[in-house]
Amino acid sequence: MDNLRQSTATTHNPQPTTSHAPHHAWKKISKWRVGYTNNCIDCGLCVLACPYGVHQRLPGTLKMAAPKNSGCIGPQCESILPDNYCVKQCPYDAITVTPNEEFEALGDPRYTPDLLASLWHMAEYGEAPPEHLYERRIGKSGGGFDLMRFNFKRLRNERPTSRDLDNISISLDLNRRAYGSKIKISVPWYGGGMSYGSVSLSVMLARAMAAKAWNTFTSTGEGGYPKELTPYKDYIITQIATGMFGVREETAGWAKIIEIKYAQGAKPGLGGHLLSDKNTPDVARMREAVPYTSLFSPFPFHSVYSVEDHKKHVDWMMTMGGSKILVSAKVSTPTDVDMVAVGCYYGGVHIIHLDGSYGGTGAAPDIAKKNIAMPIEYAIPKVHRFLNEEGIRDEITLIASGGIRNAWDMAKAIALGADGCVIGTTDIVAVNCTRCGNCEKGRGCQHGIASTDPEFTEQISPEWGAQRIINLYNALSLDLKEILWRLGLNSIQELRGRHDLLYYLNDHQ
Amino acid sequence: MPNNMTNDELIINSRAKLEPAPPPLRKAEAEGGCGVLGAVSSYPIAGRHIIAATENMKNRGNAKGGGICAAWIAEPKKLGVDQKTLESHYLLAVSYLDCNVRQEVERDFLKPRYEIEAAKRLDHLDNFRDIQGLTVEPPEVQIYFVRAKKSALNHFIDDNTLDSLPGDQAENEFIYQQSYLFNKTYYQSLGDKKAFVLSHAKNLLVLKLVGYAEDCIRYYKLEDFRAHIWIGHQRYPTKGRVWHPGGAHPFIGMHEALVHNGDFANYIRVAKYLRQRKIYPLFLTDTEVSVLLFDLWKRVYGYSLEHTIEALAPTTERDFTMLPKERQEVYKKIQMSCLKGSPDGPWFFILARNDPRERAGELIGITDTAMLRPQVFSLSLAEGRPAIGAIASEKQAIDCFLSSLNQEDSKFSRYADRYWNARGASYSDGGAFVFRIRRKHEKIELACENKFGDPVSLPALKDIKTKGGAISLAAGADPDSIVKNIQEIPVFLAALQKDSFSQLVTNIQFLTRLIDRRLGTQGYRKARIAELAANALESIFDKIPPGENNTSYVRAGVAIKNKIPPPPSAGHALIIDAAGFPAEGPDSLSRIIVAAYGLGWKKFMIYRASGQRFIGCGLGPASAEVTIEVYGSPGDYLASGLDGAKIIVHNSGQDQLGQILNAGELIVHGDVGQTFLYGAKGGKIFVLGNTAGRPLINAVGKPRVVINATSLDYLAESFMAGDPHNNGGFVIINGIKINELGEIEDLETPYPGGNLFSLASGGAIFVRDPNRRLTDDQLNGGRYEELGERDWNLILPLLKDNEAHFGITVEKLLAHQGQQKNPGDVYRKIVPVKTRALTLAYD
Repeated sequence: MDNLRQSTATTHNPQPTTSHAPHHAWKKISKWRVGYTNNCIDCGLCVLACPYGVHQRLPGTLKMAAPKNSGCIGPQCESILPDNYCVKQCPYDAITVTPNEEFEALGDPRYTPDLLASLWHMAEYGEAPPEHLYERRIGKSGGGFDLMRFNFKRLRNERPTSRDLDNISISLDLNRRAYGSKIKISVPWYGGGMSYGSVSLSVMLARAMAAKAWNTFTSTGEGGYPKELTPYKDYIITQIATGMFGVREETAGWAKIIEIKYAQGAKPGLGGHLLSDKNTPDVARMREAVPYTSLFSPFPFHSVYSVEDHKKHVDWMMTMGGSKILVSAKVSTPTDVDMVAVGCYYGGVHIIHLDGSYGGTGAAPDIAKKNIAMPIEYAIPKVHRFLNEEGIRDEITLIASGGIRNAWDMAKAIALGADGCVIGTTDIVAVNCTRCGNCEKGRGCQHGIASTDPEFTEQISPEWGAQRIINLYNALSLDLKEILWRLGLNSIQELRGRHDLLYYLNDHQ
Repeated sequence: MPNNMTNDELIINSRAKLEPAPPPLRKAEAEGGCGVLGAVSSYPIAGRHIIAATENMKNRGNAKGGGICAAWIAEPKKLGVDQKTLESHYLLAVSYLDCNVRQEVERDFLKPRYEIEAAKRLDHLDNFRDIQGLTVEPPEVQIYFVRAKKSALNHFIDDNTLDSLPGDQAENEFIYQQSYLFNKTYYQSLGDKKAFVLSHAKNLLVLKLVGYAEDCIRYYKLEDFRAHIWIGHQRYPTKGRVWHPGGAHPFIGMHEALVHNGDFANYIRVAKYLRQRKIYPLFLTDTEVSVLLFDLWKRVYGYSLEHTIEALAPTTERDFTMLPKERQEVYKKIQMSCLKGSPDGPWFFILARNDPRERAGELIGITDTAMLRPQVFSLSLAEGRPAIGAIASEKQAIDCFLSSLNQEDSKFSRYADRYWNARGASYSDGGAFVFRIRRKHEKIELACENKFGDPVSLPALKDIKTKGGAISLAAGADPDSIVKNIQEIPVFLAALQKDSFSQLVTNIQFLTRLIDRRLGTQGYRKARIAELAANALESIFDKIPPGENNTSYVRAGVAIKNKIPPPPSAGHALIIDAAGFPAEGPDSLSRIIVAAYGLGWKKFMIYRASGQRFIGCGLGPASAEVTIEVYGSPGDYLASGLDGAKIIVHNSGQDQLGQILNAGELIVHGDVGQTFLYGAKGGKIFVLGNTAGRPLINAVGKPRVVINATSLDYLAESFMAGDPHNNGGFVIINGIKINELGEIEDLETPYPGGNLFSLASGGAIFVRDPNRRLTDDQLNGGRYEELGERDWNLILPLLKDNEAHFGITVEKLLAHQGQQKNPGDVYRKIVPVKTRALTLAYD
């Protein structure tokens, strides 16, 4: 068992390569609609004016081609680039720029259309969309990370060189304890648990391949460990949750990290629930359950009702996984989350993973998502401070999750006191999730993400999905490095707990 | 003051003058599972035996709080008084965190209020650092034997018109209130805590410190101090870096001390309930309010013990409906008035009480309604031997305690005659048991009863005498003939121990059979037979050398754990003496087994197990050739994750056995604890006795399980194990017990709980229910079916295996009231039905 675990563990990966990964069937939904009226005489001044390549002639002709809407930054162009704004530059008033209703209908206030489109862009091209195209730093939820801003030292008009960014370290040590193997991930985030059944095998594979490329991790979630994932086992966290579905000693032994999921921030105290329709024969086989019946994970571990039980549980993981294993405890954020965290620490875990209330797919009931757990931005500093006071902060890795959407959210979470983050939905958006919220019912997601229906899942190949996530991670890491550079910091560790670098807008600002 | 008040109103009113403590907004500390032990004996027990037990539960505490209580003290002289004073005076124990305050306390607080008959500083070690791991100096403890000062008491009675209170009630309340004022003055109100009252009951002493329970006994030199009732507590608090001994358990009411394992969800509400009755918690822990509730209901309101327990752990759901009508009516009223104060959440209490009016000492264990914490009770009740009752969070602690007694004095048995779990707030036993001692003609007698007052008694059992019997049996004689002549076992054992390995394999097998043997003991005490056999087996094992030798065994132990040689042959077995191995961690027994497995060992025999956890974990898949036999008291999580190997436990198991078990075989010659086979996926599992709460929850795949007794509640919740006839899983419940006389008896009902097969979507339960006792209201998403021939053919092979393991014959199982029945008349089948909850896609 031990030699299984050791194989590729220590080899460091070369920088993953990005490449263009468009969706084979999707027409991009642009934010703006650009149109030509009958006044247009095909003079082509707009082609010269627009730096985003929206206006183009049909190749080999003088006729205007249909405008490339997706590049347009909209009417704000007038103030940002007054000399290039096509509407004003057109001598015949023949150009209209109007909002695209289809675009505006996307997403929700947390994942605004702009945020979704920017993540899709990153996943397709491996880099951030052009400045001004989307508001990709914040959403419009009116709270949380969306009202937090950084006190940047370097302002927007300054640009970092690629050398500046190369000198900034964003790698993260996951083990600060005296026992267990030392694991360093190249980016300060890893992928959250999504079970086989809640998402398709292709998506799981895509995430695992991307995790390997970026030398980080993804988590199995609670639905078993499909054999197909074993080539990536050094980059996969085995999750053990309250239903214990698909968990065997063997799968625990494959992992370098075991994640004990005590609760999920989106639905603390509720346990898991895979609705009967999605429990297809394949899923049922993996979980060794009966097809087409709803599968429940109990709300607690019935074997863990106290901190002493928790310690016993952790000891068990270490017995199953061997002395090198790291153990992470994923907990939600109740009001006494500080007590929970300190209890986790004394139980012997390496990682405390706080899952706040903003996360969760369509499968988590709204009433739970919106009303139970504490927002993550309250929980992180509370726990960080408490662990500091206890004198144990530097022995534990504190990971935050629950609605971490982009590099700014990560930087804010880390500035509030976390060491790193876990992302889930962001990965899914990279493979073209539209946040429509129809994850759990019927055959599941029509985009083939949160579904195991073969007709749907064929839309995503693992390789394409992996490339999309690799691209996304590249863009996220560049963004994160730029944030650090703007703050005048050299590494992600320096940012931890620097809440002085943040300020919070009130309603009037 | 109106004079038509009842006594309880008068008492509560008298507290109006107490200066209330500020209301708590939150518990001061969080804590969870702790290690708890209670013991009571008709024969006085020295403190060192408590050390043996609490040390065994060290991993349930974290050195942040330990405490003990001794009641019915057998050595008044050591406390500087005579027996009469010990019984007639309140034993006021004061813990001085700041020694300089003592004179002031005595002058200003104690002297004006009490007649002090005797006072004594409790002796202790000169240097607390002599106890390894103790980092905070324990407080000085001063004990005072007191009565209320006449003038002060009269003043108190007049002031509060308490003259109508009977007997010593007014004095009790006086003492109680003075201790509150004491703690308020010298503890709660000060940033720098100075002193607090440890206990103030008669003939009961509480000690606590920042450390482990056993540190208390060692520091205050109580190793030789004897008492009839003891409780010990290991605490596991998790907040803050500074602890005071005041926060450690036990906490006191008036006549009782309480220790607690668990955590409340409704602390604030309970605290408010108490405030309405003018009781103000000062130490802000769950445990403190628990005992304050107990005292309120028992002493102030005058509830009977049964009703006090009902107020703490209300009987609900089906259990309530199963109670007799009269009881239902009373309970309903209790619940209506007390439910607001009932502690909610996982908890288990052990109380030590001295009831001076009843002239009885009591040890009480109470389980919460939902049975969320582990608990084990035991009773040793053989003629001519000390009667012992014990309660603990883990069976291993009881066994350690009894073993420690037995090693010193063989009149104590190494094993108890009966071990059992309580069914929380149930109609069957009430979820609570009381061991009561009374003095009768200079002898102390012990009796045990459940919440309802029904006695727990054992049949009269004979003890095998170790002397006499002239027939000498050669080692390796036919085991069955020896069992037939059970009285000759001691002679046989003596002969066997002299033997030098000539019949080693047979002898080990034979002794193992004797240890396992429950059936046909011909009225002799099973505990004694097991003790003799276990002693003999251990001495044989001890003689096997650690290196290669001419037997097919190699022995290892904690001293030579890193020098285990590879197996000389595939047939060799590794015998591991578990004594001294830590329960968990890198040097634990389970890791040594895994390491030895890596060397090629396939056969293991573990003896003297004493709470070592995770035995059989970490072997991984493809371990089908591994066999582990365990003797002694193995710890939690045994076989959790098992994936092919075979484990035989020649005793009861503890909690969380066989979680996620995927393949292999597990045979337990006894009972098992909480969440047995949680999330199991396969394997063949046989349990001779009971399974406690929540066995097989969330099990999937194809586990096949025989439980010969029953399960307390929540059996096979969310069971998802496919189609039993198509490679799926199932559970057989035989609903029998083997009584202390070695006979098979039908249980009153094969399953007493109200949650059978809840929300199950696959698999089946086969229940032996010849009297058709199971009813529809026990199901939630299941359906009874008649047993078909196909079903019988499915379960028969398993019952045959069961017969081979435990000697419970299929013939015997099919017999009912002296007649052989058809399988379909005896067994019933429970299958899942598709419920709305399982198929509905909600919107």
